[in-house]
Amino acid sequence: MALLRIDNLNAGYGPVNVLDNVSLTVDAGEIVAMIGANGAGKTTTLMALSGIVRPRNGSSVVFDGDHIESLPPHEIVRRGLAQSPEGRKIFPRLSVLENLNMGAFTRKDRPGIAADLAKSFAMFPILGERKHQAAGLLSGGQQQMLAIARALMARPKLLMLDEPSLGLAPQIVVQIFEVIRDLNQQGMSVLIVEQNARMALKFAHRGYVLETGRVTMTDAASVLLTDPRVRAAYLGE
Amino acid sequence: MPLFADATDPWLTLLQFTVIGLTKGSLFALIALGYTMVYGIVELINFAHGDLFMLGSFVAFTILGLFGVQSAGDPYADAGFVLLCFAAAIPFCAALNVAVDRVVYRPLRNAPKLAPLVSAIGVSFIFMNVGLFWGGSQDVNFPNLVSDDNLFGETAKIRFTAKDLMVIGVTVPLMVALTVFVKFTSLGTAMRATAQNPTAAKLMGINTETVIATTFAIGGALAGAASVTYGLYINTISYQIGFQNGLYAFTAAVLGGIGNIPGAVLGALIIGLVVSLGSVYVGERWTSALVFAILIVILVFRPSGLLGSRTREKV
Repeated sequence: MALLRIDNLNAGYGPVNVLDNVSLTVDAGEIVAMIGANGAGKTTTLMALSGIVRPRNGSSVVFDGDHIESLPPHEIVRRGLAQSPEGRKIFPRLSVLENLNMGAFTRKDRPGIAADLAKSFAMFPILGERKHQAAGLLSGGQQQMLAIARALMARPKLLMLDEPSLGLAPQIVVQIFEVIRDLNQQGMSVLIVEQNARMALKFAHRGYVLETGRVTMTDAASVLLTDPRVRAAYLGE
Repeated sequence: MPLFADATDPWLTLLQFTVIGLTKGSLFALIALGYTMVYGIVELINFAHGDLFMLGSFVAFTILGLFGVQSAGDPYADAGFVLLCFAAAIPFCAALNVAVDRVVYRPLRNAPKLAPLVSAIGVSFIFMNVGLFWGGSQDVNFPNLVSDDNLFGETAKIRFTAKDLMVIGVTVPLMVALTVFVKFTSLGTAMRATAQNPTAAKLMGINTETVIATTFAIGGALAGAASVTYGLYINTISYQIGFQNGLYAFTAAVLGGIGNIPGAVLGALIIGLVVSLGSVYVGERWTSALVFAILIVILVFRPSGLLGSRTREKV
Protein backbone atom coordinates (compact mmCIF):
# COMPACT_ATOMS: atom_id res chain seq x y z
CA MET A 1 0.00 0.00 0.00
CA ALA A 2 1.25 3.46 -0.86
CA LEU A 3 2.44 5.66 2.00
CA LEU A 4 0.89 8.66 0.26
CA ARG A 5 -1.89 8.46 -2.30
CA ILE A 6 -3.30 11.59 -3.89
CA ASP A 7 -6.37 11.25 -6.09
CA ASN A 8 -7.85 14.13 -8.07
CA LEU A 9 -6.27 16.85 -6.00
CA ASN A 10 -7.76 20.23 -6.90
CA ALA A 11 -6.56 23.38 -5.21
CA GLY A 12 -5.99 27.04 -5.88
CA TYR A 13 -6.26 30.53 -4.56
CA GLY A 14 -9.68 32.19 -4.44
CA PRO A 15 -11.44 31.65 -7.74
CA VAL A 16 -8.22 30.60 -9.50
CA ASN A 17 -7.59 26.89 -9.89
CA VAL A 18 -3.93 25.91 -9.89
CA LEU A 19 -4.15 22.14 -9.64
CA ASP A 20 -6.29 20.14 -12.03
CA ASN A 21 -6.95 16.61 -10.77
CA VAL A 22 -3.42 15.80 -9.72
CA SER A 23 -2.94 12.15 -8.79
CA LEU A 24 0.27 10.78 -7.40
CA THR A 25 1.60 8.08 -5.08
CA VAL A 26 4.67 7.69 -2.96
CA ASP A 27 5.55 4.24 -1.64
CA ALA A 28 7.41 3.72 1.62
CA GLY A 29 11.14 3.92 1.02
CA GLU A 30 10.90 5.78 -2.29
CA ILE A 31 12.31 9.06 -3.53
CA VAL A 32 9.72 10.58 -5.86
CA ALA A 33 10.51 13.71 -7.85
CA MET A 34 7.97 16.15 -9.21
CA ILE A 35 9.41 18.33 -11.93
CA GLY A 36 7.90 21.15 -13.91
CA ALA A 37 8.31 24.73 -14.97
CA ASN A 38 7.81 27.75 -12.77
CA GLY A 39 4.09 28.13 -12.07
CA ALA A 40 3.18 24.54 -12.92
CA GLY A 41 1.71 24.01 -9.44
CA LYS A 42 4.51 22.11 -7.70
CA THR A 43 4.59 24.30 -4.60
CA THR A 44 0.79 24.47 -4.51
CA THR A 45 0.73 20.66 -4.47
CA LEU A 46 2.99 20.52 -1.42
CA MET A 47 1.13 23.36 0.31
CA ALA A 48 -2.16 21.53 -0.27
CA LEU A 49 -0.66 18.33 1.16
CA SER A 50 0.48 20.26 4.24
CA GLY A 51 -2.97 21.82 4.67
CA ILE A 52 -1.79 25.40 4.12
CA VAL A 53 -3.83 25.63 0.91
CA ARG A 54 -7.21 23.91 1.36
CA PRO A 55 -7.80 21.14 -1.17
CA ARG A 56 -11.15 21.62 -2.93
CA ASN A 57 -14.09 19.27 -2.51
CA GLY A 58 -13.58 15.92 -4.18
CA SER A 59 -9.84 15.85 -3.56
CA SER A 60 -8.56 12.79 -1.77
CA VAL A 61 -5.26 12.58 0.09
CA VAL A 62 -4.58 9.39 2.01
CA PHE A 63 -1.45 9.37 4.13
CA ASP A 64 -0.40 6.30 6.09
CA GLY A 65 -3.94 4.91 5.84
CA ASP A 66 -5.85 8.05 6.89
CA HIS A 67 -7.59 10.78 4.93
CA ILE A 68 -5.80 14.05 5.64
CA GLU A 69 -7.24 16.39 3.00
CA SER A 70 -9.40 18.29 5.48
CA LEU A 71 -7.05 18.30 8.48
CA PRO A 72 -5.39 21.48 9.77
CA PRO A 73 -1.62 21.82 9.19
CA HIS A 74 -0.59 20.95 12.75
CA GLU A 75 -2.52 17.68 12.62
CA ILE A 76 -0.84 16.76 9.35
CA VAL A 77 2.63 17.33 10.82
CA ARG A 78 1.65 15.28 13.87
CA ARG A 79 0.80 12.36 11.60
CA GLY A 80 4.28 12.38 10.11
CA LEU A 81 4.13 14.50 6.97
CA ALA A 82 6.72 17.29 7.23
CA GLN A 83 7.96 19.80 4.71
CA SER A 84 11.04 21.87 4.01
CA PRO A 85 9.36 24.72 2.15
CA GLU A 86 10.37 26.68 -0.90
CA GLY A 87 12.62 29.60 -0.04
CA ARG A 88 13.58 27.72 3.16
CA LYS A 89 11.40 29.89 5.44
CA ILE A 90 13.68 29.49 8.43
CA PHE A 91 12.94 31.76 11.40
CA PRO A 92 15.68 34.37 10.90
CA ARG A 93 15.69 35.86 14.41
CA LEU A 94 15.53 32.53 16.22
CA SER A 95 18.79 30.72 16.88
CA VAL A 96 19.68 27.65 14.85
CA LEU A 97 18.90 25.51 17.90
CA GLU A 98 15.51 27.19 18.41
CA ASN A 99 14.68 26.61 14.74
CA LEU A 100 15.41 22.92 15.18
CA ASN A 101 13.36 22.77 18.37
CA MET A 102 10.42 24.32 16.53
CA GLY A 103 10.69 21.45 14.04
CA ALA A 104 10.02 19.11 16.96
CA PHE A 105 7.12 21.22 18.28
CA THR A 106 4.54 18.43 18.00
CA ARG A 107 6.73 15.95 19.88
CA LYS A 108 6.90 15.42 23.62
CA ASP A 109 9.58 12.69 23.86
CA ARG A 110 12.54 14.69 25.18
CA PRO A 111 15.15 11.91 24.87
CA GLY A 112 14.09 11.27 21.26
CA ILE A 113 14.30 14.98 20.44
CA ALA A 114 17.78 15.20 21.97
CA ALA A 115 18.87 12.18 19.93
CA ASP A 116 17.51 13.72 16.73
CA LEU A 117 19.28 17.00 17.50
CA ALA A 118 22.54 15.10 17.81
CA LYS A 119 21.75 13.41 14.48
CA SER A 120 21.14 16.80 12.81
CA PHE A 121 24.49 18.08 14.03
CA ALA A 122 26.22 14.89 12.85
CA MET A 123 24.61 15.29 9.44
CA PHE A 124 25.36 19.02 9.17
CA PRO A 125 28.29 19.83 11.52
CA ILE A 126 28.15 23.53 10.62
CA LEU A 127 24.70 23.75 12.27
CA GLY A 128 26.19 22.42 15.50
CA GLU A 129 29.03 24.92 15.37
CA ARG A 130 26.63 27.81 14.86
CA LYS A 131 23.70 26.55 16.96
CA HIS A 132 23.48 29.65 19.16
CA GLN A 133 23.61 32.14 16.28
CA ALA A 134 20.56 33.72 14.69
CA ALA A 135 19.53 31.58 11.73
CA GLY A 136 19.29 34.66 9.52
CA LEU A 137 23.08 34.96 9.70
CA LEU A 138 23.64 31.59 7.99
CA SER A 139 24.62 31.41 4.32
CA GLY A 140 22.03 30.25 1.79
CA GLY A 141 23.38 26.70 1.71
CA GLN A 142 23.49 26.51 5.49
CA GLN A 143 19.92 27.82 5.69
CA GLN A 144 18.85 25.06 3.31
CA MET A 145 20.57 22.50 5.53
CA LEU A 146 18.76 24.01 8.51
CA ALA A 147 15.40 23.85 6.71
CA ILE A 148 15.90 20.15 5.94
CA ALA A 149 17.18 19.35 9.43
CA ARG A 150 14.26 21.27 10.93
CA ALA A 151 11.73 19.26 8.92
CA LEU A 152 13.47 16.04 10.02
CA MET A 153 13.09 17.09 13.67
CA ALA A 154 9.38 16.19 13.36
CA ARG A 155 10.61 12.62 12.78
CA PRO A 156 8.39 12.38 9.69
CA LYS A 157 7.37 9.26 7.81
CA LEU A 158 7.50 11.25 4.59
CA LEU A 159 9.76 14.22 4.00
CA MET A 160 8.66 16.77 1.41
CA LEU A 161 11.32 19.06 -0.04
CA ASP A 162 10.41 22.10 -2.10
CA GLU A 163 13.24 23.30 -4.37
CA PRO A 164 16.14 22.37 -2.08
CA SER A 165 18.63 23.46 -4.77
CA LEU A 166 17.18 26.93 -5.30
CA GLY A 167 19.87 29.61 -5.38
CA LEU A 168 22.70 27.35 -4.24
CA ALA A 169 26.18 26.84 -5.68
CA PRO A 170 26.54 23.57 -7.66
CA GLN A 171 28.82 21.86 -5.10
CA ILE A 172 26.33 22.64 -2.33
CA VAL A 173 23.50 21.26 -4.45
CA VAL A 174 25.36 17.97 -4.83
CA GLN A 175 26.03 17.89 -1.10
CA ILE A 176 22.32 18.45 -0.32
CA PHE A 177 21.22 15.71 -2.71
CA GLU A 178 23.75 13.29 -1.25
CA VAL A 179 22.26 13.93 2.18
CA ILE A 180 18.80 13.23 0.74
CA ARG A 181 20.04 9.94 -0.68
CA ASP A 182 21.65 8.97 2.64
CA LEU A 183 18.41 9.72 4.46
CA ASN A 184 16.52 7.59 1.96
CA GLN A 185 18.97 4.72 2.42
CA GLN A 186 18.22 4.89 6.13
CA GLY A 187 14.56 4.35 5.24
CA MET A 188 13.15 7.87 4.81
CA SER A 189 10.52 8.32 2.08
CA VAL A 190 10.98 11.54 0.14
CA LEU A 191 8.79 13.63 -2.16
CA ILE A 192 10.93 16.25 -3.84
CA VAL A 193 9.83 19.14 -6.01
CA GLU A 194 12.49 20.65 -8.24
CA GLN A 195 13.14 22.91 -11.18
CA ASN A 196 16.59 21.35 -11.36
CA ALA A 197 15.08 18.35 -13.13
CA ARG A 198 18.36 16.66 -14.02
CA MET A 199 19.52 16.54 -10.41
CA ALA A 200 16.17 15.46 -9.04
CA LEU A 201 15.70 12.66 -11.58
CA LYS A 202 19.25 11.44 -11.05
CA PHE A 203 18.57 10.82 -7.37
CA ALA A 204 14.88 9.81 -7.52
CA HIS A 205 13.31 6.41 -8.14
CA ARG A 206 10.26 7.71 -9.94
CA GLY A 207 9.21 11.04 -11.37
CA TYR A 208 6.12 13.04 -12.30
CA VAL A 209 6.02 15.87 -14.81
CA LEU A 210 3.60 18.65 -13.90
CA GLU A 211 2.42 21.10 -16.57
CA THR A 212 -0.07 23.90 -15.78
CA GLY A 213 -1.53 21.97 -12.88
CA ARG A 214 -1.81 18.56 -14.57
CA VAL A 215 0.35 15.47 -14.37
CA THR A 216 1.36 14.91 -17.99
CA MET A 217 3.90 12.14 -17.58
CA THR A 218 4.99 9.67 -14.97
CA ASP A 219 7.61 6.95 -15.11
CA ALA A 220 10.77 5.61 -13.56
CA ALA A 221 13.23 8.45 -13.11
CA SER A 222 15.79 6.79 -15.38
CA VAL A 223 13.19 6.55 -18.16
CA LEU A 224 12.19 10.21 -17.80
CA LEU A 225 15.87 11.22 -17.96
CA THR A 226 16.13 9.71 -21.44
CA ASP A 227 12.68 10.76 -22.68
CA PRO A 228 13.12 13.16 -25.61
CA ARG A 229 10.23 15.43 -24.51
CA VAL A 230 11.61 15.70 -20.99
CA ARG A 231 15.09 16.29 -22.36
CA ALA A 232 13.86 19.06 -24.62
CA ALA A 233 11.61 20.77 -22.11
CA TYR A 234 13.41 20.36 -18.79
CA LEU A 235 16.99 19.31 -19.38
CA GLY A 236 17.83 21.99 -21.91
CA GLU A 237 18.89 19.61 -24.68
CA MET B 1 1.28 63.33 43.10
CA PRO B 2 4.58 64.15 44.82
CA LEU B 3 5.59 67.77 44.59
CA PHE B 4 9.02 69.32 44.26
CA ALA B 5 11.26 67.78 46.84
CA ASP B 6 13.53 70.76 47.05
CA ALA B 7 12.85 73.50 44.56
CA THR B 8 16.16 75.17 45.29
CA ASP B 9 18.35 72.40 43.91
CA PRO B 10 17.89 71.84 40.15
CA TRP B 11 19.66 68.47 40.27
CA LEU B 12 17.30 67.17 42.91
CA THR B 13 14.39 68.31 40.80
CA LEU B 14 15.79 66.44 37.83
CA LEU B 15 16.37 63.31 39.90
CA GLN B 16 12.91 63.49 41.48
CA PHE B 17 11.12 63.78 38.16
CA THR B 18 13.29 61.11 36.61
CA VAL B 19 12.12 58.72 39.33
CA ILE B 20 8.50 59.71 38.71
CA GLY B 21 9.00 59.34 34.96
CA LEU B 22 10.44 55.86 35.24
CA THR B 23 7.63 54.81 37.57
CA LYS B 24 4.96 56.09 35.18
CA GLY B 25 6.89 54.65 32.26
CA SER B 26 6.86 51.18 33.74
CA LEU B 27 3.08 51.45 33.98
CA PHE B 28 2.86 52.53 30.33
CA ALA B 29 5.11 49.58 29.52
CA LEU B 30 2.54 47.05 30.73
CA ILE B 31 -0.02 48.54 28.36
CA ALA B 32 2.47 48.99 25.52
CA LEU B 33 3.39 45.29 25.69
CA GLY B 34 -0.19 44.37 24.82
CA TYR B 35 -0.08 46.54 21.69
CA THR B 36 3.32 45.35 20.56
CA MET B 37 2.79 41.62 21.15
CA VAL B 38 -0.51 41.58 19.28
CA TYR B 39 0.97 43.63 16.45
CA GLY B 40 4.00 41.32 16.32
CA ILE B 41 1.84 38.30 15.74
CA VAL B 42 -1.18 39.43 13.69
CA GLU B 43 -0.01 42.84 12.41
CA LEU B 44 -3.01 44.50 13.98
CA ILE B 45 -2.91 47.75 15.96
CA ASN B 46 -5.47 46.78 18.57
CA PHE B 47 -7.00 50.20 19.21
CA ALA B 48 -9.35 48.68 21.77
CA HIS B 49 -6.42 47.80 24.02
CA GLY B 50 -6.42 51.06 25.98
CA ASP B 51 -10.14 50.74 26.59
CA LEU B 52 -9.69 47.17 27.75
CA PHE B 53 -7.32 48.64 30.35
CA MET B 54 -10.01 51.14 31.33
CA LEU B 55 -12.62 48.39 31.80
CA GLY B 56 -10.15 46.52 34.02
CA SER B 57 -9.95 49.49 36.35
CA PHE B 58 -13.77 49.54 36.59
CA VAL B 59 -13.80 45.85 37.50
CA ALA B 60 -11.44 46.64 40.39
CA PHE B 61 -13.46 49.71 41.35
CA THR B 62 -16.70 47.75 41.38
CA ILE B 63 -15.21 44.98 43.50
CA LEU B 64 -13.97 47.46 46.08
CA GLY B 65 -17.43 49.03 46.05
CA LEU B 66 -19.07 45.67 46.70
CA PHE B 67 -16.96 45.30 49.83
CA GLY B 68 -17.66 48.88 50.84
CA VAL B 69 -13.99 49.82 50.67
CA GLN B 70 -13.64 53.58 50.32
CA SER B 71 -10.39 54.46 51.97
CA ALA B 72 -7.45 52.82 53.67
CA GLY B 73 -8.31 50.86 56.79
CA ASP B 74 -6.75 47.79 58.29
CA PRO B 75 -3.54 47.26 56.22
CA TYR B 76 -3.96 43.47 56.07
CA ALA B 77 -7.53 43.73 54.90
CA ASP B 78 -6.48 46.35 52.34
CA ALA B 79 -3.73 44.08 51.04
CA GLY B 80 -6.35 41.37 50.66
CA PHE B 81 -8.66 43.70 48.72
CA VAL B 82 -5.79 44.76 46.45
CA LEU B 83 -4.95 41.15 45.69
CA LEU B 84 -8.62 40.46 45.03
CA CYS B 85 -8.69 43.35 42.53
CA PHE B 86 -5.72 41.91 40.67
CA ALA B 87 -7.21 38.41 40.84
CA ALA B 88 -10.40 39.70 39.19
CA ALA B 89 -9.13 42.31 36.71
CA ILE B 90 -6.33 40.19 35.24
CA PRO B 91 -8.46 37.20 34.16
CA PHE B 92 -11.29 39.54 33.17
CA CYS B 93 -9.10 41.51 30.74
CA ALA B 94 -7.36 38.37 29.47
CA ALA B 95 -10.65 36.61 28.76
CA LEU B 96 -12.26 39.68 27.20
CA ASN B 97 -9.26 40.22 24.91
CA VAL B 98 -9.33 36.58 23.77
CA ALA B 99 -13.09 36.76 23.24
CA VAL B 100 -12.80 39.90 21.09
CA ASP B 101 -10.12 38.24 19.01
CA ARG B 102 -12.24 35.12 18.58
CA VAL B 103 -15.42 36.99 17.66
CA VAL B 104 -14.15 40.07 15.81
CA TYR B 105 -10.57 39.72 14.55
CA ARG B 106 -10.27 36.02 13.79
CA PRO B 107 -12.97 35.97 11.08
CA LEU B 108 -10.98 38.79 9.42
CA ARG B 109 -7.60 37.04 9.65
CA ASN B 110 -7.17 36.79 5.89
CA ALA B 111 -9.00 40.00 5.04
CA PRO B 112 -7.11 43.17 4.02
CA LYS B 113 -5.36 44.72 7.04
CA LEU B 114 -7.71 47.71 7.08
CA ALA B 115 -10.74 45.57 8.00
CA PRO B 116 -9.52 44.36 11.42
CA LEU B 117 -8.05 47.81 12.10
CA VAL B 118 -11.39 49.55 11.59
CA SER B 119 -13.07 46.81 13.62
CA ALA B 120 -10.61 47.47 16.45
CA ILE B 121 -11.65 51.12 16.45
CA GLY B 122 -15.26 49.94 16.61
CA VAL B 123 -14.50 47.70 19.58
CA SER B 124 -12.75 50.65 21.20
CA PHE B 125 -15.95 52.73 20.92
CA ILE B 126 -18.04 49.89 22.30
CA PHE B 127 -15.73 49.48 25.30
CA MET B 128 -15.67 53.22 25.91
CA ASN B 129 -19.45 53.36 25.95
CA VAL B 130 -19.61 50.38 28.29
CA GLY B 131 -17.25 52.33 30.55
CA LEU B 132 -19.46 55.40 30.28
CA PHE B 133 -22.50 53.35 31.22
CA TRP B 134 -20.62 51.62 34.04
CA GLY B 135 -18.87 54.56 35.69
CA GLY B 136 -20.75 57.59 34.40
CA SER B 137 -19.29 60.56 32.59
CA GLN B 138 -17.49 62.03 35.60
CA ASP B 139 -14.17 61.06 37.13
CA VAL B 140 -14.63 58.63 40.00
CA ASN B 141 -12.35 58.32 42.99
CA PHE B 142 -10.52 55.04 43.21
CA PRO B 143 -10.00 54.13 46.90
CA ASN B 144 -6.62 55.27 48.11
CA LEU B 145 -5.42 52.04 49.66
CA VAL B 146 -1.66 52.42 49.30
CA SER B 147 0.26 54.85 51.46
CA ASP B 148 1.59 58.14 50.11
CA ASP B 149 4.20 58.29 52.86
CA ASN B 150 7.75 58.85 51.74
CA LEU B 151 9.73 55.68 52.30
CA PHE B 152 12.86 57.77 52.95
CA GLY B 153 11.11 59.71 55.73
CA GLU B 154 9.08 62.88 55.38
CA THR B 155 12.12 65.16 55.72
CA ALA B 156 14.13 63.46 52.95
CA LYS B 157 14.92 65.49 49.84
CA ILE B 158 13.69 62.83 47.44
CA ARG B 159 10.23 61.36 47.58
CA PHE B 160 9.74 57.70 46.87
CA THR B 161 6.47 56.50 48.27
CA ALA B 162 4.97 53.12 48.98
CA LYS B 163 2.81 53.80 45.93
CA ASP B 164 5.82 54.21 43.69
CA LEU B 165 7.26 51.02 45.15
CA MET B 166 3.99 49.20 44.45
CA VAL B 167 4.10 50.23 40.78
CA ILE B 168 7.68 48.97 40.41
CA GLY B 169 6.81 45.85 42.42
CA VAL B 170 3.99 44.97 40.00
CA THR B 171 5.54 45.98 36.68
CA VAL B 172 9.11 44.73 36.94
CA PRO B 173 8.33 41.12 37.96
CA LEU B 174 5.67 40.91 35.23
CA MET B 175 8.12 42.11 32.59
CA VAL B 176 10.76 39.67 33.80
CA ALA B 177 8.22 36.83 33.76
CA LEU B 178 7.13 37.75 30.23
CA THR B 179 10.72 37.84 29.01
CA VAL B 180 11.45 34.43 30.52
CA PHE B 181 8.26 33.01 29.01
CA VAL B 182 8.92 34.35 25.52
CA LYS B 183 12.61 33.47 25.46
CA PHE B 184 12.82 30.14 27.23
CA THR B 185 9.57 28.21 26.85
CA SER B 186 8.43 26.19 23.88
CA LEU B 187 5.18 28.17 23.56
CA GLY B 188 7.09 31.45 23.84
CA THR B 189 9.47 30.37 21.09
CA ALA B 190 6.47 29.31 18.99
CA MET B 191 5.10 32.80 19.53
CA ARG B 192 8.26 34.38 18.12
CA ALA B 193 8.30 31.85 15.28
CA THR B 194 4.68 32.66 14.38
CA ALA B 195 5.49 36.37 14.41
CA GLN B 196 8.42 35.86 12.04
CA ASN B 197 6.74 33.53 9.57
CA PRO B 198 3.22 32.25 10.23
CA THR B 199 3.22 29.83 7.30
CA ALA B 200 6.49 28.24 8.37
CA ALA B 201 5.16 28.04 11.92
CA LYS B 202 2.15 26.07 10.66
CA LEU B 203 4.48 23.76 8.76
CA MET B 204 6.24 23.05 12.07
CA GLY B 205 2.96 21.77 13.49
CA ILE B 206 2.32 24.91 15.53
CA ASN B 207 -1.37 25.63 15.93
CA THR B 208 -1.05 29.34 15.17
CA GLU B 209 -4.59 30.13 16.36
CA THR B 210 -3.68 28.81 19.81
CA VAL B 211 -0.55 30.93 19.75
CA ILE B 212 -2.54 34.02 18.75
CA ALA B 213 -5.13 33.40 21.50
CA THR B 214 -2.30 33.04 24.02
CA THR B 215 -0.86 36.35 22.86
CA PHE B 216 -4.19 38.13 23.32
CA ALA B 217 -4.55 36.51 26.75
CA ILE B 218 -1.12 37.68 27.88
CA GLY B 219 -1.62 41.18 26.48
CA GLY B 220 -5.00 41.39 28.21
CA ALA B 221 -3.61 40.08 31.49
CA LEU B 222 -0.89 42.74 31.46
CA ALA B 223 -3.50 45.42 30.77
CA GLY B 224 -5.55 44.07 33.68
CA ALA B 225 -2.56 44.27 36.02
CA ALA B 226 -1.81 47.78 34.75
CA SER B 227 -5.40 48.89 35.30
CA VAL B 228 -5.48 48.01 39.00
CA THR B 229 -2.02 49.50 39.51
CA TYR B 230 -3.18 52.66 37.77
CA GLY B 231 -6.26 52.99 39.96
CA LEU B 232 -4.23 52.54 43.15
CA TYR B 233 -1.53 54.92 41.94
CA ILE B 234 -3.51 57.76 40.38
CA ASN B 235 -6.70 57.30 42.45
CA THR B 236 -8.92 58.75 39.75
CA ILE B 237 -10.46 56.76 36.93
CA SER B 238 -12.97 57.52 34.22
CA TYR B 239 -14.19 56.04 30.97
CA GLN B 240 -11.60 58.19 29.19
CA ILE B 241 -8.43 56.86 30.83
CA GLY B 242 -8.14 54.16 28.19
CA PHE B 243 -7.91 56.66 25.39
CA GLN B 244 -5.10 58.80 26.75
CA ASN B 245 -3.04 56.05 28.35
CA GLY B 246 -3.65 53.84 25.34
CA LEU B 247 -2.30 56.51 23.02
CA TYR B 248 0.76 57.05 25.22
CA ALA B 249 1.38 53.31 25.35
CA PHE B 250 0.83 52.99 21.61
CA THR B 251 3.34 55.79 21.03
CA ALA B 252 5.77 53.96 23.32
CA ALA B 253 5.35 50.77 21.31
CA VAL B 254 5.98 52.60 18.03
CA LEU B 255 8.94 54.46 19.54
CA GLY B 256 10.57 51.21 20.64
CA GLY B 257 9.74 49.44 17.40
CA ILE B 258 6.27 47.96 17.11
CA GLY B 259 6.36 44.19 17.50
CA ASN B 260 9.53 44.35 19.60
CA ILE B 261 9.06 43.43 23.29
CA PRO B 262 12.17 45.06 24.83
CA GLY B 263 11.47 47.99 22.50
CA ALA B 264 8.04 48.54 24.05
CA VAL B 265 9.55 48.68 27.54
CA LEU B 266 12.30 51.06 26.43
CA GLY B 267 9.82 53.24 24.55
CA ALA B 268 7.48 53.34 27.55
CA LEU B 269 10.25 54.40 29.92
CA ILE B 270 11.20 57.20 27.51
CA ILE B 271 7.58 58.32 27.20
CA GLY B 272 7.29 58.24 31.01
CA LEU B 273 10.34 60.47 31.26
CA VAL B 274 9.06 62.83 28.58
CA VAL B 275 5.70 63.17 30.35
CA SER B 276 7.32 63.70 33.74
CA LEU B 277 10.25 65.94 32.80
CA GLY B 278 8.11 67.75 30.23
CA SER B 279 5.66 68.74 32.93
CA VAL B 280 8.47 70.44 34.85
CA TYR B 281 10.58 71.98 32.13
CA VAL B 282 8.02 72.64 29.41
CA GLY B 283 4.71 72.76 31.18
CA GLU B 284 2.02 70.25 32.04
CA ARG B 285 -0.32 71.33 29.26
CA TRP B 286 2.31 70.53 26.62
CA THR B 287 2.97 66.93 27.60
CA SER B 288 0.48 65.40 25.16
CA ALA B 289 1.81 67.60 22.38
CA LEU B 290 5.36 66.50 23.22
CA VAL B 291 4.42 62.83 23.17
CA PHE B 292 2.69 63.09 19.82
CA ALA B 293 5.51 65.18 18.39
CA ILE B 294 7.75 62.22 19.24
CA LEU B 295 5.31 59.89 17.51
CA ILE B 296 5.41 61.99 14.35
CA VAL B 297 9.19 62.37 14.37
CA ILE B 298 9.62 58.61 14.80
CA LEU B 299 7.15 57.79 12.05
CA VAL B 300 8.89 60.20 9.66
CA PHE B 301 12.54 59.47 10.40
CA ARG B 302 12.67 55.99 11.86
CA PRO B 303 9.40 54.15 11.30
CA SER B 304 10.95 50.87 12.47
CA GLY B 305 11.50 52.41 15.93
CA LEU B 306 14.54 52.41 18.18
CA LEU B 307 14.93 48.64 18.46
CA GLY B 308 12.67 47.58 15.61
CA SER B 309 13.95 45.08 13.13
CA ARG B 310 14.21 45.83 9.46
CA THR B 311 11.01 45.34 7.52
CA ARG B 312 9.79 41.77 7.52
CA GLU B 313 11.94 39.24 5.72
CA LYS B 314 10.40 38.08 2.49
CA VAL B 315 12.29 35.81 0.17
